[in-house]
Amino acid sequence: MKALRIGFLLGFRQIQRANFWTTTLIIFVMMLTFLNLIAVSGILVGLIEGSERALQKKSLGDIVLTELADEDYILETTSIVKVLETFPEITNYSVRFKGSAQLEANYQERRDLSGERDIVTSSITGIDPIQEDNLSALSETLIEGEYLDPNEEGHILLGAYFIDRYADGFGDVFEALEDVYPGDSVRMTQNGITKEFIVKGIVSSKVDEINLNSFIPEREFRRLFGRFDRNADQIVLRLDENISPEEMKQLLIEANLDDYAKIQTFQESLPKFLIDIKNTFSLLGTMIGSIGLVVASITIFIIIFINAISRRQQIGILKGIGIDRHVIQIAYVLQAAFYALAGSALGALITYGFLVGYFDRNPIDFPFSDGILVAEPLGTLYRFIILFIITLFAGFIPAWIIVKQNTLNSILGRK
Amino acid sequence: MSIITAKNIHRRFGEGNLITHVLKGIDITVEKGEFLAIMGKSGAGKSTLMYQLSVLDEPSEGEVIIDGTDVVQLTERERTEFRLRTLGYVFQNYALVPDLSAEENVMIPLLMKDYNWQTAKQIAHAAIDGVGLAGKYKNLPAELSGGEQQRVSIARAIAGKPKILFADEPTANLDTVSGTQVIDLITKVNKEDNQTVVMVTHEREYAMGCDRIIHMKDGLVVDIEQLTTFGRGEH
Repeated sequence: MKALRIGFLLGFRQIQRANFWTTTLIIFVMMLTFLNLIAVSGILVGLIEGSERALQKKSLGDIVLTELADEDYILETTSIVKVLETFPEITNYSVRFKGSAQLEANYQERRDLSGERDIVTSSITGIDPIQEDNLSALSETLIEGEYLDPNEEGHILLGAYFIDRYADGFGDVFEALEDVYPGDSVRMTQNGITKEFIVKGIVSSKVDEINLNSFIPEREFRRLFGRFDRNADQIVLRLDENISPEEMKQLLIEANLDDYAKIQTFQESLPKFLIDIKNTFSLLGTMIGSIGLVVASITIFIIIFINAISRRQQIGILKGIGIDRHVIQIAYVLQAAFYALAGSALGALITYGFLVGYFDRNPIDFPFSDGILVAEPLGTLYRFIILFIITLFAGFIPAWIIVKQNTLNSILGRK
Repeated sequence: MSIITAKNIHRRFGEGNLITHVLKGIDITVEKGEFLAIMGKSGAGKSTLMYQLSVLDEPSEGEVIIDGTDVVQLTERERTEFRLRTLGYVFQNYALVPDLSAEENVMIPLLMKDYNWQTAKQIAHAAIDGVGLAGKYKNLPAELSGGEQQRVSIARAIAGKPKILFADEPTANLDTVSGTQVIDLITKVNKEDNQTVVMVTHEREYAMGCDRIIHMKDGLVVDIEQLTTFGRGEH
């Protein structure tokens, strides 16, 4: 305790009397290190988090109801919808019917009947255009044409990856229709039944679920796919901000809806690979951030080493007059701790006071995601602790090297 | 009654063919309350002898007994503790911590000796007052003249009431007036407080207030000059 108190006095006075600009520069370096540690992994995780958010906003909503394990569809969908409408916490919902069908284009212009047909196989989603737009703002994803009109029939929205000019960038990954524009006709064939649709619009999003889907009104879907019982494949719910998905899920279970459908929160419905990618990116970010950590520790080492070696004679004199070496070491470790604390505090202030909010409002436009900055307070705390401990070591080692030198040699400046 | 007894002190530096034999077998005793000066030309070994006596260095051979303790046998940590509890130092270059005020410089060894902050501060103020620097407690070393810094250094050395005060050429960096003031101060401490002082100097005029002068040459004591009757029962 005595050593700590005197070491604190020596260290505090050294910081107090140090050159202002030098101290500012060191704190600035520490702040950048902290930001590097937080921001690199934060943005990498934010890539996936942004993707997740988009998936939540554009596709999966806050809660997803799907068919039970041994059923093909959600049972008693109509009754379930009626129950859902009684919950004021549910602000929007969309009932989706899903299937797959062949889409053929350019069949009217085809002269050579033995030639290759322009066909793709597409997921088809039957939606109530108004419900769906309220829930996922599907109309905002239009890049060509117009959104489905609930009063019209025979119109389809095509996902961009089924159109060659949007799919070309992916090589041969996707089958695509050639030169299809809004107003053109495509022929949908499902289980031997064929119906012609006019392309109303083309939708594109960073959520691939939309790009790889075609949307038609649910009434036509049910007719085409023979789904006359009205039992849907998916019901997606959007919730009021005041209730968590977990709480809402519990309410739905209490209403016995889990007897008819599998109820999952958005997080539960995420595919495992997405969570794995997120964890991998977090690890990757930490590893990259660790390089910054090494740089910071070397920086602190050099700063403290230069500081200690330039005061070698003074250290010798302190030892000479009977000051324990631990006191002197504590003084230097305290300086390192101060730099780490001040730098981290500034870094945290910038992260939470500015960066997180800024990237939320202005996400980074990555090709497959709107990247945000994810800085979980607990993760930040862990990283700060790591930075702090490493800085303490980086401060201690040079002090230890200098302090352990022969006292008289230090006093006399001898090697 | 001797407070320092050094027997057959040798100090060699280097290894193999490059060994420099700086002290070549010195026997010396210092009496309690004595003011001893060590003089000699540069390279005579006077500072090296003082470092052996003041536990800042270890002799290559021989023994040093200070106040009944064989200091050669102490570990590094024990030596540090011994210096803190028993010895006071005034260095040639003042050796103050530049970041600490005058009072804090004086307080640091006192705090190490387990004095609480308030008591250490009171003692430090009294010591600083004693060297004629009342009111300069808060001054940083850079805000004091060389002579004033050396007086703070003396205050630091004597504040803890050491058994022996070692001064290594305390006037070397000072002008004549300041040098005289410093020597007068050390002499005063010796005479009034019966403080044992061992001082290295190469200026004879500053050694004239001592009880005894040891003259060194080439690592040996070549002459002992008794200036007062100290140690002969008449002091």
